Amino acid sequence: MNVVTSNAPRVRRMTLRRRRQVAGFLFALPAIALVVGFIGVPIGQAVYYSFTQWNGLTSTWIGASTWTQAFHNSNLWTALQNNALLLLAVPFALGLPLVIAVLLHQRVAGWRIFRSIYFLPTAISWVVLGLVAERFFAYQGTLNSIIHALGFSHVNTNMLGYESTALSALGITFVFTMIGTNTMLFLTGLATLDPSLEEAARIDGAGRWRIFRSITLPHLSRFIQLAFVMTVIALFSALFSLIFVMTGGGPGYATTTMEFLIYQTGFNQGDFGTAALYGLILFVLTGIVGVVQLRLIGSNE
Amino acid sequence: MTSLLTPPRASDSPDEPTRPPRATRSKLGRWALFFAMIVIAVIMLYPFWVMIVTSLKSEAQFLAGQGFSWLSWKNLSATIPIGQEVLSSTIVCSASILVILLVGLPAGFAFSKLRFRTSTAVFLVIVSAMMVPLQAILMPEFVNVTKLGLTGGYWGAILVYAALGTPFSVFLFTTYFRGVPDELIEAGIVDGLGYFGALWRLVLPIAVPAIATVTVLQFIQIWDDLLVGLLFIQNTSERPITVGLAVLAAGRTTSIPELMAGSLISALPAMLVYLGFQRYLVKGLTMGIDR
Repeated sequence: MNVVTSNAPRVRRMTLRRRRQVAGFLFALPAIALVVGFIGVPIGQAVYYSFTQWNGLTSTWIGASTWTQAFHNSNLWTALQNNALLLLAVPFALGLPLVIAVLLHQRVAGWRIFRSIYFLPTAISWVVLGLVAERFFAYQGTLNSIIHALGFSHVNTNMLGYESTALSALGITFVFTMIGTNTMLFLTGLATLDPSLEEAARIDGAGRWRIFRSITLPHLSRFIQLAFVMTVIALFSALFSLIFVMTGGGPGYATTTMEFLIYQTGFNQGDFGTAALYGLILFVLTGIVGVVQLRLIGSNE
Repeated sequence: MTSLLTPPRASDSPDEPTRPPRATRSKLGRWALFFAMIVIAVIMLYPFWVMIVTSLKSEAQFLAGQGFSWLSWKNLSATIPIGQEVLSSTIVCSASILVILLVGLPAGFAFSKLRFRTSTAVFLVIVSAMMVPLQAILMPEFVNVTKLGLTGGYWGAILVYAALGTPFSVFLFTTYFRGVPDELIEAGIVDGLGYFGALWRLVLPIAVPAIATVTVLQFIQIWDDLLVGLLFIQNTSERPITVGLAVLAAGRTTSIPELMAGSLISALPAMLVYLGFQRYLVKGLTMGIDR
């Protein structure tokens, strides 16, 4: 702020350089204000309120014991465990798109149409995909139809209905929702690969698998890293729509992840203080992943 | 990021550099490949198939598992105020994107061309805000916006979406303008355009591809979002479509064929934007890694 205020009386005699700096600051000011006001300040508030008992209207300072209490809450551990278990979906959310991208890259007839089809679900809201997934896993849904068609007519699944299987169903849905984005990333990566490298390797007698492992995969490593980071961040902060529509966090707490626990604690139980505290835990978790991403972007500049 | 500076061409899609098809692959292999592509296509089209087929049944036909009718489409507007919800989504989406552009463009210009003291540090702080998920600051944010009296109508949601979208747009515009030669801006400023004139007359016209990228990415993100609309728009008469659908779905009492019809309508705009502007989406996603 002092760039503007301390020089206000001398505006007319400002050097060109000074004037440019003031203009630059003023141009950046709305963005700074918006980000500080709506993201920066709430982080500070969350820290303060995490030490209080807070219902949204009045807050009472409790101190560090709110934190020790929170860590004794089994719901927090269940949510963290659910998030950790969902990480098992990440290899699939990366592996399948990698295969699909490599297939698309072979350019069979009509590959452009296939590409558009594969990316299409990316445009749809996860609310809608969650609704469809619910139909897929439902008792009278597609999954059971497939199982029956395969000859197991006595088998009836209801994955979203049981604590033991609901999280797996959520994970499978998550993998599906990530396929488009990650395929897109990998395909972009493959496009930057110099075809003559592969050609040379082929002439040298390298097999297809060998070429993939020694040339294609190393070339894609940056894209795989980026996709990994984006997938993990989505896993921690974008499942809300799916959970809200598919399970509401249940059965029990079987599909309650950190982000959903924050929502439930705040808006269903009215315990804003604990919800703010959980928010900070999520903040730290995504922060760790975020630092990795910043380093990825940064190393390129 | 120089790739963003080249004028868009029809062949500018993600992986265009043409090369001869592989002669080494056997005919059998090509058919197997083609078959695999079809199978994947069927899986990726599954949501659309479910929505279309289910919406073409009445509730009774859906439960019975057979028959087709237009009944769910005819009754749709009685169950879901679809017109109003699509309108709400459109208003919130356009207003948020407008704020993001109005705030992001000058900031990107400032961080790349009108650098002030501490501008690098400020830029880094703004960019790192990209990593803060809304859920992490949900409680204070909700209370703040409520205290400002903005959770009734659209404004609360618009400002929250704008704040969440600004870091990325600032990052994208700054990186993009770094590729514009300094001399061009200098000449404009010296010629008496002033800083605002330079932004308006020189920078804006070149920035069209970057503006398109931000617009397309944010449109899909905001149109598809649930959490912000759910919490920051309390008036049911101003609900966006995703919120309308999700609340009905969570209630578990609404006819599923009608829900699917509503889902299909909600999916259409984002799909059209997506198919029309795929190129910008890919560029936005690979920002900073695409050399």
